[in-house]
Amino acid sequence: MGLKENIKYLFSYKLIGESLIKLNTKKSYKNFKPPKNWRTDILAPPLKTGVFTKEIITRHYLEGRYVNGVKPVAWVTSGAPIEILKALGFYILYPENHGALCGARKVALEISEEAEKRGYSIDICSYARTDIGSTLSKKTPVGRLPKPDLLLCCTNICQTVLYWYRVLAEYYKVPLIVIDTPFVYDEAREHDIEYVKKQLEASIEVSERVAGKSLSFSKLKEVVRLSKMAAELWLEIMNANKNKPAPISVFDQFIHMAPIVEKRGDSETVDFYSKMLDEINDRIKNGIGAVKNERKRVLWDNLPIWYKLKFLSEFLAENGVSVVASTYTNAWGELAPMMDIERPIESMARTYIYPILNRGTGHKLKTMETMVKEFELDGAILHSDRSCKPYSVGQMDQRIKLLNELGVAALLLEADHSDPRAFADEQVISRLKAFVEMMD
Amino acid sequence: MLHIKIPTRREVIEKAKAEGKKIAAVYPIHYPRELFRAFNIQPIEVWGPPKTDTKKANAHLQSYICSVVQSGLAFYLEGGINVADIIVVPHSCDSLQGLGSIYKDFIKPKQELITIYLPREKNRENVEFLSKELKRIYKQLAEFTHFEPDREKLLEEIKKEEEIDVLVAKFYKSRENLPLSSREFYTILRAREYLPVELFKNILNYALLHSSSGKLKKTGIVISGLLPEPMEILDVIDEMDGFVALDDMACCMRRVYGEGSADDPFERMAERIVNSTPDPTKGSSVDERADFLKSLIDISGAKGVVFYNVKFCEPEYFYHPLLKDKLNESGIKSIVIETDINEPISQQTITRIKAFIEMLKEESRWA
Repeated sequence: MGLKENIKYLFSYKLIGESLIKLNTKKSYKNFKPPKNWRTDILAPPLKTGVFTKEIITRHYLEGRYVNGVKPVAWVTSGAPIEILKALGFYILYPENHGALCGARKVALEISEEAEKRGYSIDICSYARTDIGSTLSKKTPVGRLPKPDLLLCCTNICQTVLYWYRVLAEYYKVPLIVIDTPFVYDEAREHDIEYVKKQLEASIEVSERVAGKSLSFSKLKEVVRLSKMAAELWLEIMNANKNKPAPISVFDQFIHMAPIVEKRGDSETVDFYSKMLDEINDRIKNGIGAVKNERKRVLWDNLPIWYKLKFLSEFLAENGVSVVASTYTNAWGELAPMMDIERPIESMARTYIYPILNRGTGHKLKTMETMVKEFELDGAILHSDRSCKPYSVGQMDQRIKLLNELGVAALLLEADHSDPRAFADEQVISRLKAFVEMMD
Repeated sequence: MLHIKIPTRREVIEKAKAEGKKIAAVYPIHYPRELFRAFNIQPIEVWGPPKTDTKKANAHLQSYICSVVQSGLAFYLEGGINVADIIVVPHSCDSLQGLGSIYKDFIKPKQELITIYLPREKNRENVEFLSKELKRIYKQLAEFTHFEPDREKLLEEIKKEEEIDVLVAKFYKSRENLPLSSREFYTILRAREYLPVELFKNILNYALLHSSSGKLKKTGIVISGLLPEPMEILDVIDEMDGFVALDDMACCMRRVYGEGSADDPFERMAERIVNSTPDPTKGSSVDERADFLKSLIDISGAKGVVFYNVKFCEPEYFYHPLLKDKLNESGIKSIVIETDINEPISQQTITRIKAFIEMLKEESRWA
């Protein structure tokens, strides 16, 4: 760790940056009011605790600007078992979250075109294109991304990450840890769990070498404990939407899920979600719904369409439709009960093999059916995401089953999570109108 | 040109059925043929088939799923796999994973469905995992067939496949000395996808008898991708006085496995698959893949590489830019061609391939 980097980190991030951000949060919280263009006629004001989401994420990316040479840096896939890295003091960056942020800030296209110019096909995942484009051009809306010292790729979300991280390993010339998680068609078998466990154990040595220190198991247990607590709170927040009207829309969840993905294992994430849960419980007590005139309640399946969150949220709210449950946001909470603080490695092996994306199409249908019943839903929007094949394959059959067997309206909406070229406003509007009519 | 009569898939299936064998329809890519043969099951691979009308598959799969998987499902829905007793879906990519899952959860075919999870990297732990996975499949097959081949039977079938792999390697090595067009060469090679082992061996041996000392005086190309479909691409290469000298294709070279070393049959089958040549679906490193392609060029004396990619095949897509760079650094030219196995090869593609071979020839002249 360099002295120069440490001084810069302490001065620019810890002393000035962090203090300014916290001050700004304090001010925003105290004088909280919705943004000027917020449709207060159809939507409840944004959650006040949302100012902390902004703070956590801003601080995270600001730290990233100065962290090289101060802490070891790992780039990881979104569903990766990060607890070991966290316990070793790694700064962790999620290229997929950066891709989502680029999508939401509407710069994903410009950045992914940098990758396309270098020969990366327009038909590969738009997160990957954005990440590779950012690596090649250094373009990012967050100022600067830290270079990785280690890459951790877990195949429990898709196989795409395996090829994507091979490309990153080539550009950055750093070690790549692959945690390969056998796909679960029904239930994971013992040899599947054992296979993942062995890979997790083997990853410790590589991670320790890069971090330059040994893993403390008591620290690991503490990280697992915090990770589990945050996930349980997140699950509680989502389950709060079983109330009518639903206090937090899925579009809000998409924004506020950033800490559970990026800052899992930190105590501040637990504090943040505790505060958010309090605010949500207040809303429930006062009968405040995320959508003012909640007439219909629907499910969102698959990743968000980051560059159209406002557009979709407002169109649906105008029609009294509240999106109250999502298989995607649920994925970061549903496995929390599986984490066992006393047996961290073994329980991580079991937990990380079971994300919805690593399970069969029938399991996803069952999850949706359960949500339809428990959240008392009238319909489901299945985002057929060109960039996410494992999430999207099966949706055509799932839609038919939801329609015919549960009798709920179900819409397959073709788009892409980050690439706006796959989204046609007029077509989407007319399809959504028909969907709303189906529910009426 | 050799006059070799290769039975069709239909003929092989009819004969196998008449002999009391069961049929397994197997999707791409890696699986242990020997395990199925030990159960008296004839594996018949389903690589598409090309030029299938995929309309029926559109009810289950989105348009951004590759044509190999689209056709594979459409073929089933059209009744093309009715004759099979078993459907095997190896876990090769997200789309095939999805296909396996759709079969299991929604289509629910009358056939026994077997999925195989294939580990990624080459190491001891992965051999151990795959051997357990193969034991699981053995149990499933034993329950289905009410038959349990013993260790000797398994080893006997493994040995047969190992011998065939050696013979296929010899066939590749003799490529330049064989009076075969590229299409003929690959028609013979790809017959392994459905022929019984003895018959395939006889055909290869017969073809090798015609190996001569005279070499083809043509421009060699290495072709990389999933499969050489539509096969017209091979004719285009030959028309330009080129030929496919070697390949890095999923249906061919990537499945020429080395000999295993373990005495335990499951471990030996696993070793063969885990230690196979670099493969994007296994997430091999870019360097491994580049070195392998360079070695194919060195061995064959080929002049360039054609990446012949099925549209929407993500595993292949990711590697192209870096592989092209690495080949270029070694003075090897390459080109990426995109294809859909259900559509005829376009005029634009033909022109690009022709121009590429012409360029290679020009460079050779000046070298």
